[in-house]
Amino acid sequence: MADGIRIFDRGLLRKRRDRAAADFAAHDFLVREAAERLADRLDDVARRFPLALDLGCHTGELAAILGGRGGIETLVQCDLSPVMAGRAAANGRPTLAADEEWLPFAAASFDLVLSCLSLHWVNDLPGALAQIRRVLKPDGLFLAVMLGGETLTELRQSLAAAELAEEGGFSPRVSPFADVRDLGRLLQRAGFTLPVADTDAVAVTYGDPLRLLADLRGMGETNAVAERRRGMTRRATLFAALSGYRERFAGPDGRLPATFHLLTLTGWAPHPSQPQPLAPGSATCSLADALEQDPPQPS
Amino acid sequence: MTDRVPGIDPKLMEILVCPVSKGPLRYDAERQELVSERAGLAYPIRDGIPIMLPDEARRLDEEGAQP
Repeated sequence: MADGIRIFDRGLLRKRRDRAAADFAAHDFLVREAAERLADRLDDVARRFPLALDLGCHTGELAAILGGRGGIETLVQCDLSPVMAGRAAANGRPTLAADEEWLPFAAASFDLVLSCLSLHWVNDLPGALAQIRRVLKPDGLFLAVMLGGETLTELRQSLAAAELAEEGGFSPRVSPFADVRDLGRLLQRAGFTLPVADTDAVAVTYGDPLRLLADLRGMGETNAVAERRRGMTRRATLFAALSGYRERFAGPDGRLPATFHLLTLTGWAPHPSQPQPLAPGSATCSLADALEQDPPQPS
Repeated sequence: MTDRVPGIDPKLMEILVCPVSKGPLRYDAERQELVSERAGLAYPIRDGIPIMLPDEARRLDEEGAQP
């Protein structure tokens, strides 16, 4: 975006993803988990979606898990990272590099837009949702899973406590996430009908917190907050954060939990065939009459 | 919406537009670029993958500098 609030450094995010692409398969468990959830949701919809978009395709995980589900004939894949897109293209599907904030598609192009763990890095989420709604055909479906809520709360708390203790202040080290309560409203504001947002916690446990950091780096998910502190984290701070993580959060078996909140968003592009609210005042019988009727007596 | 481009699925070319102007794109076979006249930007095609990122696009007004 040209102006307005810039929370994330999209150029840095792209570099992180470019770098993560080569060894992505070693760290992609969360993307595959989210892709499975998307595919399950799609199975619940009794419709066919000939032309679909995978917005933020990483290295093609969603395409592999979807197979031919949802009646998808053509799945267009795009990612902010040209290197990720290059890897995804190996599955033979039409692929391009594109930014969620600058969608390069004509209005009313797709029957379905899917997005798997990509929208949590968007600066202007209302703007991105409006663009997604615009590229959907009437009665087209938007289905996304994104990280949100209290994701990585254990890491966030440990880092903040350690930084305060060691350095006397703290800087944002884990991205700010959208809250599920706001997302339903955002979907509605972007012009989606029948909007639904729900959340599901996925708890992963690690023996060594450094493995968690390695996985985050491996997914290209490390800090890209524009106001992040430049330069390396001091060793003492990192050490204090990791031992704090262990002291505060270790389970009885000594393993460390890392919580990810997966938010699932569903919305439809408006179409006259969808359920519509009646115009105010168009009711033909009053609520009072309905309430006055005797309830059916148990026999 | 856009010209046919060898190696790129015609279904994708049909719906592809300039991300900035949302206007049509012209294929420049020699430079391997998708040109948006309206935005004054040319998007590179690398290894058959259109790079539709405004940051990666070449500005057309700089074209005259090189003969």
